[in-house]
Amino acid sequence: MLKMSEYSFIAAILSVALAIVFYAVAVVSVRVQRGRAAVAAGGAATFDGGTSVAVTSGSSTFGTYGTLVAWLSFAFLLASLTFRTIATGHGPFANMYEFSISFATGIIGVYLFFERRYHQRILGLIVLPIALLMLLYATTIPATADPLVPALQNNLLLTVHVAVAIVAYGTFSVSFAAAVLYLLQSYGVPRLPRAELLDEISYRAVVIGFPFMTLVIILGAVWANVAWGSYWSWDPKETASLVTWLIYGAYLHARVVRGWRGNRAAWLLVVGFGATLFTYFGNLFFGGLHSYSGLN
Amino acid sequence: MSQLSVPTSTTAKRRTVDPEPTEGTGGGLTIDVSEVGERLWRIFTSMRTALILMLGLAILGLIGTLLVQVPAGVQSDPQAYTAWLDTVRPKYGGWTTPMEMLQFFSIFSSIWFKGIIVLLTTSILACSVNRFRGLWKTAVRPRTRMTAVFFDRAPHSATIDVAVAADVAVTDVTRTFKSHHYRTVVERDGDEVSVYADRFRWAPFGTLMAHISLVLILVGALVGSTWGFKNTEFAVPVGSTVPVGNGTGLSVMAKSFNDSYYANGAPSDYVADLVLYKDGQQVAAQAVRVNEPLGYGDVTFYQAFFGAATDVSVKDASGATLYSQGVPLLYTADNGTRRVGQFLLPQQGLTVLVVSAASGEIDPAIKPGMVQLEVYKTGAGGGQPIDTQIVSQGKPIQMAGLTFTFDRERQFTGLMVAKDPGVIFVFGGALLLVVGLFLVFFFPSRRIWTRIVPGPSGSEVRVGATTRHDATFGPDFQKIVGEMELSLAGKSGN
Ligand code: HEM
Repeated sequence: MLKMSEYSFIAAILSVALAIVFYAVAVVSVRVQRGRAAVAAGGAATFDGGTSVAVTSGSSTFGTYGTLVAWLSFAFLLASLTFRTIATGHGPFANMYEFSISFATGIIGVYLFFERRYHQRILGLIVLPIALLMLLYATTIPATADPLVPALQNNLLLTVHVAVAIVAYGTFSVSFAAAVLYLLQSYGVPRLPRAELLDEISYRAVVIGFPFMTLVIILGAVWANVAWGSYWSWDPKETASLVTWLIYGAYLHARVVRGWRGNRAAWLLVVGFGATLFTYFGNLFFGGLHSYSGLN
Repeated sequence: MSQLSVPTSTTAKRRTVDPEPTEGTGGGLTIDVSEVGERLWRIFTSMRTALILMLGLAILGLIGTLLVQVPAGVQSDPQAYTAWLDTVRPKYGGWTTPMEMLQFFSIFSSIWFKGIIVLLTTSILACSVNRFRGLWKTAVRPRTRMTAVFFDRAPHSATIDVAVAADVAVTDVTRTFKSHHYRTVVERDGDEVSVYADRFRWAPFGTLMAHISLVLILVGALVGSTWGFKNTEFAVPVGSTVPVGNGTGLSVMAKSFNDSYYANGAPSDYVADLVLYKDGQQVAAQAVRVNEPLGYGDVTFYQAFFGAATDVSVKDASGATLYSQGVPLLYTADNGTRRVGQFLLPQQGLTVLVVSAASGEIDPAIKPGMVQLEVYKTGAGGGQPIDTQIVSQGKPIQMAGLTFTFDRERQFTGLMVAKDPGVIFVFGGALLLVVGLFLVFFFPSRRIWTRIVPGPSGSEVRVGATTRHDATFGPDFQKIVGEMELSLAGKSGN
């Protein structure tokens, strides 16, 4: 089973890389064609997105291939996690290797959900490389299936905790990608999706991510209360996740304050994603109760 | 947008503020209380304030993760605190003192942290009060009729011309809304009919729930720290009974303790077999593991740590036993090469330290099967011991006129004992928070106004809606209008 899990993992890495190539070709050719069309029409150089614009078949074929391969990589990741769960008898939360694969799964899954809805493959060009980096990072970690130390022997609670966390992290990655495009757009990069559309994608992603992140923190608190007798102890990882949560909470309010709309809100999302990564990689450089990284 | 007479809370309860400064009497020494109140109210209910407070809290949290925080319990002991500060001084150099003065090493009990929490709580409460009336009105007594201007300017709007009278059209309109699970309110005024339709009208209360639940969580934390207690160093040597104190009347006896390991050396399980007594009566018994604490009333015992203990007995000259208990060796000394425990002989005014070599350490003085006993005058503040002896197991020895015996080595189980009456508020609040958030975000409340007036060919149906950033609404609106058109067209064809 562990072998199967590893094969699926490697297949996932290859397919994510291939998907990125397809996406790059598709996005570049679409933008070039639209650029020509826009110049020819003398009109605006920003576009609504995939479905409404007639694009010649060559580039859209690449896009379709890319999407297919991305789905394939998602399936491989799910398979890898499933095999590993069967082999180890617990959810993928025991070490950084398992959690990195989960994180990448969350990123790709949430991205694909958003792609179905908004048809913006250019987002995938930012999101998929993040997932790829996560997976490459996982290859540097020993994949040993260690048995669980006592505190982690709370299978159901922790499995749900991690499952919810990867959805939250996935949505934050998507909102980050949309925010980056938004900022690029505002600093004058041409032929990107409309600013309002990007803003909306970011917002929808956070709207899903924020309740999930709330749930992550609460489930963590429940677990801590059961295992250590204290629902909150300002452990660095706990604190970092609270900081992340507060930044996204601030973002939700920021969109309502006039002066904070637009670029400043987008920057908050960039900072928020930084905090997400900090929370995630945190156990590498601070100790605390969550030091289960398996790297010592 | 502001011209639209949409009954949102902001327009419903916007406070008008007199732009003219109030004339002060007596040289401006008196302050107009209502004006100050008004201003404070505006500050506390402003979204900008919420934003600043939340980001401020995030910054404090960041400081708390990046800087080493002083361990609980150390800060209240000035001597230990100074010693602790010296251990971090090499790391932060000259910044140590200013950072200490700014309370950066205890950020979560600092004045900054408490201040922001108080301001945030106030602000959340103010916002909730501010919003309640608007929310209530929107849900219970919404504005059901809109003027023509509304439909001209609404971000989502449509006009359908039909060949039938308003009364006939209205049944199709309401049926369409109903088939999309909207609630409708029909109002007639002469030959004009208004149909108001809404869906999930209670969902906006989710925001209110979410905000109030945050306050509830903070209240829970406050209740816990005021009326609860937490003992993180409660050690019970196997075979000994140790009182819990804190007015609980409880004591704990450890029947056994077992730590087991996987082949690779990682721990697999810690189990302590505990018996709990209240005023001498046994009230509970349980095998306590890391994820299986023992609860009795509102006091909970968690398996937290373990270590070595020594059984020591002390007799006076007449042979009466003064002390016979396990002494947990809770502390380390000499860079972790030795483990130290202590106990008191209150009647004699003596404090006794028990020192042994840490496991795996080879100590030239204290060999395996031996401990070092040090007898001090209680309260002498770490001065010279009255007597120090190294004793072998089972060999009585005379010290300070008493007979000491090191009987045997044992293990102790380290428990965390906690009583937290606030926990129910915290998790109640947490539940409310999640429910509130899912309500707000996954059940977007929707409101659509329709106005049917006599038109050139029969009637004119105007449909309009405003939404804040709710992306899924646009397509839904189109769909509803499309269906309405279809069913009304069928009518006019007759
Ligand atoms: C940690 C503190 C806070 C959290 C987690 C929080 C959370 C939220 C959430 C999730 C929303 C819904 C956002 C949306 O619909 O897009 C919201 C809306 C709102 N919040 Fe907060 N909030 C906090 C503090 C505050 C404070 C201090 C204020 C008052 C100054 C405030 C006032 C509001 C208002 C007026 C809304 C808009 C309600 C609506 O549009 O229906 N919030 N908040």
